[in-house]
Amino acid sequence: MKLQRLLIPLAAVALLGTLFVFGLLRGAPDKDIASVYLGNAAPGLQMALYERYQPEYGATLDIAEHAGKPMVVNFWASWCLPCYQEAPILQEYWRQYEDSGVLFVGVHTQNREGYAAGRDFLSQFGLTFPNGFDPDSAISIDWGLYGVPETFFIDASGQVLLKHIGPVTPEVMDEQLRAMLR
Amino acid sequence: MNRYLSPRRLTRGVLVTVALALAVIAGAALAQEVQLETRVFEIARQLRCPTCVSESVSDSSAPIAQQMREIIQTQLVEGRSDTEILAYFQTRYGDWILLDPPKRGVHLVAWLLPIIVGVLAIGVVALLARRWLANSRRPIEASPEELARVRRQLGTTSTQVEEPGTGGQN
Repeated sequence: MKLQRLLIPLAAVALLGTLFVFGLLRGAPDKDIASVYLGNAAPGLQMALYERYQPEYGATLDIAEHAGKPMVVNFWASWCLPCYQEAPILQEYWRQYEDSGVLFVGVHTQNREGYAAGRDFLSQFGLTFPNGFDPDSAISIDWGLYGVPETFFIDASGQVLLKHIGPVTPEVMDEQLRAMLR
Repeated sequence: MNRYLSPRRLTRGVLVTVALALAVIAGAALAQEVQLETRVFEIARQLRCPTCVSESVSDSSAPIAQQMREIIQTQLVEGRSDTEILAYFQTRYGDWILLDPPKRGVHLVAWLLPIIVGVLAIGVVALLARRWLANSRRPIEASPEELARVRRQLGTTSTQVEEPGTGGQN
């Protein structure tokens, strides 16, 4: 009788406990949110480039002018530690795939006063693929960015194959570049 | 007494009138600006700051939230409605960007569940209360031994502890 009385409160506590543990273990929920662009056309991107890229790519980069090329669009900020972690990986893959027609684009964003800090970041890693500045985070919003770093992998038809949240790894780069060039 | 206004008085009058007119115009402009800002924050309150943790665009000072507020302001000045502005962000971020989930599809669970749980909770409390009341009205069953033990412990006479169900004397 006593046990029967305790059954409902015990079941309720067990249910709440299970939900609590599930909540703790499911990790960062924001990372599970897929981009609305996934499987759809990537948005446009027009931005002023840092000086070091202007001789080769011009003062402004418009990805529409590179339509038909697979693209890796990486969003970063000079204050973001994981961006330091992924920068050498991006440069390494750019060096490897530069001649296969893939375009890498870097966007320094969510850093209103960070133009000079971005220039130092680019020099530190010697990034040779075009990088520009998004001072008011307008490009960030257009691309539905949550934070930095985030990287979009876009195939030759302009369709977004993946939005990777967090620093890219060689595994992610290998897998996505293979899919993009298929 | 001079019936005509002197040039000095006239100048003063014109100056006062101009100053008053300017004050009215400035006040109206300020009121309009305040009203616009209020509307910006009203809409921003409905949007989630993408780079923050559990913060709305109106509460956050993150660069992206500032830019989102600027976009809201620009679109309001252009004459767009609240719904159109919210839809602008929704097309870029999906339903996630809305702090109040839309009242459709799977999101309905978020709206209906609290109501269902509330109704169930009220039902359970009502049921329990009825049972408790019924129990409190039921006469207490006690054996003569138990009654004797209570009397002993209380050190009372038999008149102070009545047989159950007979109604005690207070």
